[in-house]
Amino acid sequence: MTAPAIEMRDIDKHFGPVHALDKADLVVAPGTVHGLVGQNGAGKSTIIKVLAGIYRRTGGTVRVFGEQIEQITPAVIEAKGVHFIHQDRLLVPSATVAESVFLRNEPRVGPFLEHRTMRRRAQELLKTHFNLDLDPGTLVQDLSTAQQKIVQITRALANDARVLVLDEPTAALVKKEVDNLFEVLRRLRDDGLAIIFISHYMSEISEICDTVTVLRNGTDVGVVDPREVGIQRIVDMMTNRDTSEMYPPRDVTHGEVVLEMRDATAEPHFRNVSLTLREGEILGLTGLLGSGDKEVMNALFGQIPLDSGEILLRGKPLRMRSPVDAVGQGFAKIPEDRRAHGVATALSVRENISLASLLSMSKRGLVSRKDEARVVDDLIADLGIKTPGRDQLVKNLSGGNQQKVVVAKWLSCESEVYLMDEPTVAVDVGAKIEIFTLMNRLAAEGKSMIFLSSDLEEIVEMCDRTLVIYRGELIGEYAKGDIDADRLLAAASGAASDETPKERSTA
Amino acid sequence: MTDTTPPTPSRNLSFEALSNYAVIAAFVLIVVFFAIFADGFLSGENLMNLVLNKVVILAIVALGMTLVIAAGGIDLSVGVSVDLSSMIFIMMIAAGMSGVFAVAGGLAAAICVGIVNAILINRLKINPFLATLGVLFIGETVQRVSTQGGVPIYLTRGEYSAPFDAIVRTGLFGVPTPVIVLIVAALAVYIALHRSVFGRYVSALGAAPDVVRYSGIRVPLHMSMVFIACAAISGVAGILLSSTVRSYVPFSGDAFLLDAIGATFIGTAISAERRPSVFGTLLGVLLLAVMRNGLLLIGWNFFWQQVGIGVLVFLVLGVSFGLRRRND
Repeated sequence: MTAPAIEMRDIDKHFGPVHALDKADLVVAPGTVHGLVGQNGAGKSTIIKVLAGIYRRTGGTVRVFGEQIEQITPAVIEAKGVHFIHQDRLLVPSATVAESVFLRNEPRVGPFLEHRTMRRRAQELLKTHFNLDLDPGTLVQDLSTAQQKIVQITRALANDARVLVLDEPTAALVKKEVDNLFEVLRRLRDDGLAIIFISHYMSEISEICDTVTVLRNGTDVGVVDPREVGIQRIVDMMTNRDTSEMYPPRDVTHGEVVLEMRDATAEPHFRNVSLTLREGEILGLTGLLGSGDKEVMNALFGQIPLDSGEILLRGKPLRMRSPVDAVGQGFAKIPEDRRAHGVATALSVRENISLASLLSMSKRGLVSRKDEARVVDDLIADLGIKTPGRDQLVKNLSGGNQQKVVVAKWLSCESEVYLMDEPTVAVDVGAKIEIFTLMNRLAAEGKSMIFLSSDLEEIVEMCDRTLVIYRGELIGEYAKGDIDADRLLAAASGAASDETPKERSTA
Repeated sequence: MTDTTPPTPSRNLSFEALSNYAVIAAFVLIVVFFAIFADGFLSGENLMNLVLNKVVILAIVALGMTLVIAAGGIDLSVGVSVDLSSMIFIMMIAAGMSGVFAVAGGLAAAICVGIVNAILINRLKINPFLATLGVLFIGETVQRVSTQGGVPIYLTRGEYSAPFDAIVRTGLFGVPTPVIVLIVAALAVYIALHRSVFGRYVSALGAAPDVVRYSGIRVPLHMSMVFIACAAISGVAGILLSSTVRSYVPFSGDAFLLDAIGATFIGTAISAERRPSVFGTLLGVLLLAVMRNGLLLIGWNFFWQQVGIGVLVFLVLGVSFGLRRRND
């Protein structure tokens, strides 16, 4: 019998008094895709970081292809052919694609790097594995999140990985890219690689995984075949509760038109886009990666100047030159890259929540700590932010709670129009439900939202209307109930562009 | 997917508090050590000299630097602000102008340095290190050109005494004016950095500039204010410096640059929140000044003094980060 690729037994990990892993097992056979699921705090990240040598385990044994490893360091584990695509450890922003692919494995002649070979091979690898034409000289910082992920995976492949650990690899990918990725993963699996796949998307787990280990409270509570037991059973194992109410219901009452965009063009991103948004409405915005959907949202937040057309708030044309203007008019943005743009992780919950509304809680330029504490405590209680206190640093909060801190920041300055850019990226099922509940609450209070997500099911379920952008043009508008995720995908891919767009809203 | 493992606050705090006290205790130990082994360390004359000549001016420059570093920047041109302020001040006095005008002139010169920095950084988007390095070079040239290649201006004759006496000699309740200026500056920077809306924006800029931008706050405006404030504060130091020595010696401001940066980072390392703070910076300045003075008095070879300072910096950082690691 062949030894398992990875065999972790009775892994214990304490963080001070916190028992993050409690005799957890993870056994992965070669030639399989092994899912690892659990809610935030269940111990997924911790067990992976133990395997990666980032955390030192407090107990248990680890074997890689039968060989016991006492002390794991990142170098040791990588030498065994175990490669990690961490969710929050991206590439060096100032490196090129080619340099990133061959990081620490650079082709060289003597002490000299073979830049040309590096570039050529990087390009070949990207082309063969992902069918992606990417200039290997492009800087990582100029890549989209999806492209960065692809480069990371390519790097592992270039290093002859035998075990590939993917932590939320699809978080920022659109359907087509996910399909591509899965194709690659299946091929690698058939070549005998062991793949550990961590995802919050249960549909992906059931689609790609041969076996799934379910973690709860630091312990493995089951190893199952997802095709046999089904998603619902796995979610129940994870949560110990009924999650059939993924998308909480909402009473829809729309008020007056709050926001209008008229014939807006911002070359080369989008052209002649018009939209309206009413009080209490959730408007979906979607498109493939690079279609211009994100840029439409950015233009509404003053980040991209319009070449022509206008943006009106309650009928009044706005000058939008920067986010300063947008925020001043009551726009709020929940950015996709939460850690870079949404919250200052090194600052406290209090400082983050009050950041945009300090002027309203200050006298003569001095912050009133009392007023601030009151506003912040109210919002922490109101949104159910799980934190030991207002002075806890945001980096110690879970992804879902960090997202609530972002929303709390905008609620504290009474924003009216919420621009939500992938608000559910990398948060677990429970936190997603909470975010959706929060969106419903905002809508019920008369706030308006534009919701951008690459998870089309979320769009279909949450939005009252959905706009589809394809190659920079608004090609369709669909009311809730008129469309399902598959048709929406077809529309976003341009397949439905022959159809007459329904009710183009040009006020 | 972030695992929720918030460190228990009480434990966290006790460690941070411990590392705080450890540095304060180390400071007290150093003072006690020199009090015992360095002859004359505790004498009134030495302490006065220590405070007036080693602490006050450096502390004021370091306060300005604290603001800049808190905002995530660095200002290599603080010496230029000190020098130009000092130069204009002395030149105006030499030209027979009144002390008030001369002080205003000196401050204006320093503020100009800050404005140039602000424009380079916020308009031309040059990173603060390079922008202020450029200003440092240009500032040196300006001084050379204005002083025939770097000739000091001494104003020792009695007729010039009045303005200097007004600045240095008099004081409230026997406290020398430079000390009062330092206290006022420390209070002002404390309020600006730790109590005001402006200070919140500054701290947030230092922690995550993009988050500040995405929150609809005017990043360039606040960055500009930070650099102008730093230059203005350094200008105050320049006026105190030339009043104390009754002269302008070109490039003498450069001596404060590295110490100011060092004091700020020592202060950051020992602050509970690991952020630049007024209290931390002042403690950092005191540590550096006491070490320098004490080593001199116990007769350490001058050449080797910097080694003592270097070891001190490593010790401070080692103690504070070592204790912090333990928490991991």
